Amino acid sequence: MDLIWDGVTEALRLIFSGDSYVYEVTFTSLLVSGSATLIALVLGLSIASFLAFRAPPGRTLALSAFNAGMALPPVAVGLLVSIMLWRTGPLGQLHLLYSRTAIVIAQAVIATPVVAALSTAALQGLNPNLRLQVLALGASRWQAALLLFREARISLLAAAMAGFGAAISEVGATIMVGGNIKGSTRTLTSAIVLEVGQGDFETAIALSFILLGVILVLVTLFTVLQQRRPPA
Amino acid sequence: MAVRLASLAVLLTSLALLDSSCGGDRNELILGATTSVQDTGLLDEIVRAFEGVTDYHIKPSIGGSGEVLAKARRGELDVIMTHSPADEDKFIADGEGLDKRPVMMNFFLIAGPEADPAGVRGAASMSEAFKRIAGGQSLFISRGDQSGTHLRELSIWGEADITPQGQPWYQESSTGQGQNLVVASDKDAYTLVDSSTFTVFEKRAGLRALLTDTEKPNIYSVIRVASDKHQNVNATGAIAFAEFITSPAGQCVIADFGMEEYGKSLFEPAARCPSANVGG
Repeated sequence: MDLIWDGVTEALRLIFSGDSYVYEVTFTSLLVSGSATLIALVLGLSIASFLAFRAPPGRTLALSAFNAGMALPPVAVGLLVSIMLWRTGPLGQLHLLYSRTAIVIAQAVIATPVVAALSTAALQGLNPNLRLQVLALGASRWQAALLLFREARISLLAAAMAGFGAAISEVGATIMVGGNIKGSTRTLTSAIVLEVGQGDFETAIALSFILLGVILVLVTLFTVLQQRRPPA
Repeated sequence: MAVRLASLAVLLTSLALLDSSCGGDRNELILGATTSVQDTGLLDEIVRAFEGVTDYHIKPSIGGSGEVLAKARRGELDVIMTHSPADEDKFIADGEGLDKRPVMMNFFLIAGPEADPAGVRGAASMSEAFKRIAGGQSLFISRGDQSGTHLRELSIWGEADITPQGQPWYQESSTGQGQNLVVASDKDAYTLVDSSTFTVFEKRAGLRALLTDTEKPNIYSVIRVASDKHQNVNATGAIAFAEFITSPAGQCVIADFGMEEYGKSLFEPAARCPSANVGG
């Protein structure tokens, strides 16, 4: 138990002493997981709009796949992305393995099904006549989509938070495709794994609290945004 | 909003891309190294020193010797540093690697609880100690991951003529060197560990070094992956790394490592470091 309190004080010390290593890995985590979440949002919302509004044949099958995708084992994603990016793999010529971009790809693959599945549910929950009405009033498809997104924004922001949470807390795939390189691909989660491997549990716990703090601050911002009254 | 979101995504992604693609293809060097090199903290030092004198960017791929050699056989690595002599020799005999040179060494030791219920302390040899552990049915934690340490452990069991797999007192942790020691410590069990990792973990792990294998040092070698077999291998970068790590400059990085924190070198360089203090 002492270790946990030491970890808390160490976390505060690291934050307020401006420790450059901690700021660097935190920045990497935010940059990488933020990018992955945005990609997941763009892909996930597109998929959700298509499935919810167009109701294509085989929708249930596709939805089952995305729902199952929420439980994609990150370690399997990491392995598959690694093999794709290996020098001998199909995308080897891009030289992306062991880079931040590789982590963004892996985390986006993990977060996209989460966003897609939850957003589809959110959009399907809207009154189906709403879209027809908006279109009948002369809105373009884009305008209709934006209006419906705003209508479902509470659930959509929940989907965004779930996607972000999946991305930033991920470590198995991150280490596999990123390589845990100091100053480049070392994120908060992979730094924690490294500190545990090196037996420095105090720093590992301190970094864990910093990670939790970062997630708490960001999710609070999202939640404030979510709970705000819609602009008239 | 969707447009703004999309442009932000593109911006951030290009930022991430920008950062990682710096240096270009020919400057990236993928180094395969084992967990003990990372867990002791030596890897970060080597990378920093090497990148300080060359234009290469090292991308480390960490795993047990078995995993590193398997990736090297696929041409995914440029140069490797492992400590699994028999597998390394086979790797070279198969034409997959070349130019094996010793870099540094440490010793394997049996770590165990202070009370030493099996009586490992008084054993005349490693295999004798393993016989006592098996005879006393004392808990033993194995790496179980085809790492250099695991293979050495298996060869000692072989010498002792014991098959530990499947025995209730024999457990495989399948973790890295440092984590394995923590598991053994938590269970008050015996385990085989290299002296460098043990030194780093000595304060935290409640285990004692009971018997050190001074007869057979644990030698880490650098091997270049054969570029005639794998066309993507960065041969010039691999040569630069092999030259650096065996040069006086590289050997001194190894000799100096650990001096400040532990008062001794964690790994013994294969050649002497000219500027090191006596006995360095």
